[in-house]
Amino acid sequence: MVELLAQTGLNAIYAAAYMSLIAVGLVLVFGVLGVINFAHGELFMIGAYVVVAIYADFQMPYVLAAAAALVFVGAVGILMERTMFGPLRDNPLGGLVASIGFLLILQALVSVQFGVRMEHVPPVTQDVIVISEKVRLPVQRLAVIIASIVFLSLLWIFLRKSKFGWALRASAQDREAASLQGISITRISIIAMFIGGALAGIAGALTAPLISVNPHMGHSVIVAAFIVIIVGGVGSLEGAVVASIAYAFVHTIITTFWDGVIADIVGLALMLAVLIIKPTGLFGTADRA
Amino acid sequence: MLLEVENIAVSFGKVAALRGISINVGKQSIVAIIGANGAGKSTTLRAISGLEKLQEGEIRFEGEAISNLPPDRIVGRGIAHVPEGRRVFPDLTVEENLRTGAFLRTDAEQTEADLRSVFESFPRLLERIGENAKTLSGGEQQMLAIGRALMAKPRLLLMDEPSMGLAPVVVDEIAVIIRKICAEGVPVVLVEQNAQMALRLADYAYVLETGTVALEGNADSLLDNDHVRAAYLGV
Repeated sequence: MVELLAQTGLNAIYAAAYMSLIAVGLVLVFGVLGVINFAHGELFMIGAYVVVAIYADFQMPYVLAAAAALVFVGAVGILMERTMFGPLRDNPLGGLVASIGFLLILQALVSVQFGVRMEHVPPVTQDVIVISEKVRLPVQRLAVIIASIVFLSLLWIFLRKSKFGWALRASAQDREAASLQGISITRISIIAMFIGGALAGIAGALTAPLISVNPHMGHSVIVAAFIVIIVGGVGSLEGAVVASIAYAFVHTIITTFWDGVIADIVGLALMLAVLIIKPTGLFGTADRA
Repeated sequence: MLLEVENIAVSFGKVAALRGISINVGKQSIVAIIGANGAGKSTTLRAISGLEKLQEGEIRFEGEAISNLPPDRIVGRGIAHVPEGRRVFPDLTVEENLRTGAFLRTDAEQTEADLRSVFESFPRLLERIGENAKTLSGGEQQMLAIGRALMAKPRLLLMDEPSMGLAPVVVDEIAVIIRKICAEGVPVVLVEQNAQMALRLADYAYVLETGTVALEGNADSLLDNDHVRAAYLGV
């Protein structure tokens, strides 16, 4: 029993790691641009397909493919800002609808290029750290955990210590007041979309060898990401990370001991409970809600 | 003239907020804009800062047109704006708020010196340097908002309702600060509902009514004007 719990805990940490990368990017984009990017899950999917193309098909090194996913999906984020969210700056609902359209375009492009079947990404390494007979941690999963911690730490340092990091946080808290400090909303939106895209892309690249890669894989993560953001508090980056960890533990434990569908139901029920008890989310402040 | 606002018009949908307003601000002066709620005082300041699009008219600063530039570019020209309701960044610390005000500056040494001088002017901000702005009192937040604007090293300061919601003793403190800012060479455009305070501080004043300039003149003369006394000073 102890061993089963330990194994479940490791699985949950892995799930929390990549879920945090996705949720933090979505929160950052919502905070700075004021728009809900429904295509965020598809940015995650594109990251995985960059690995399919570069690592699985062209047989280039995996690290190169992951780096390419980060840059490429970040660039897709910038493209979205320039073509949709920028022109629709004062129309958040329009931005949301445009992102739903873009989501369908991305799914269609990937389906045309790669087909709709699940892609097989060969494992980067088969090594497994054997902690005990029943507690094992594949090195690939460990790499996801470590990489997520590294990327989240880098983001944290950027937001706390750099001038543009301050500008991002200021813009997320009060966009108009930020523009009165000389912060260009256009530039800051581009930076936010690059970071949000890059984090979703690297999450897709990191998990590509471990999960089923298909054109619709963005759907399941976006639902989880929304639950995490609402529980954590809309606009709170710290809240998103903490809620990711909590959600991943609850979800993984329920999936292990009962069933995945029940885990989804519990996740949504948790979100509902938070909305009823504390509508601003566990870490959100009232003025953002 | 440092700032020339010429016949500007702004509307929100079909509702005209400003219908041809002209305002001039010279060097070394405090110019007050008073009027009732909805007269267009804040909208005038927001138009100068680029937060509202002009439908007509022109705004020139130091002789150059700044009409319809984005707000960040107007800050870059040297106009800082203390917005209505203070609008400090609630989850940034006092120091981070102040440094955000210096976002466009590249003169690191002078910026540090200005940060020290803001803390000299507002010792209470220094006491709370590491705390999030949302924990500050209303008066402290107003001082933070003013300090943040000064960190941009502006050549013109726009202030929107700095006395709003503050205790009379704090309003007096803010008045002293505004005088000091002007004495140090930064002209101030002061929008106020508190006409008494504004007219006592200002050299020149404009009275707005339903989006037009109803009256203008030296602040002293407006203090004696019957219409102003009846409508805005309540005497």
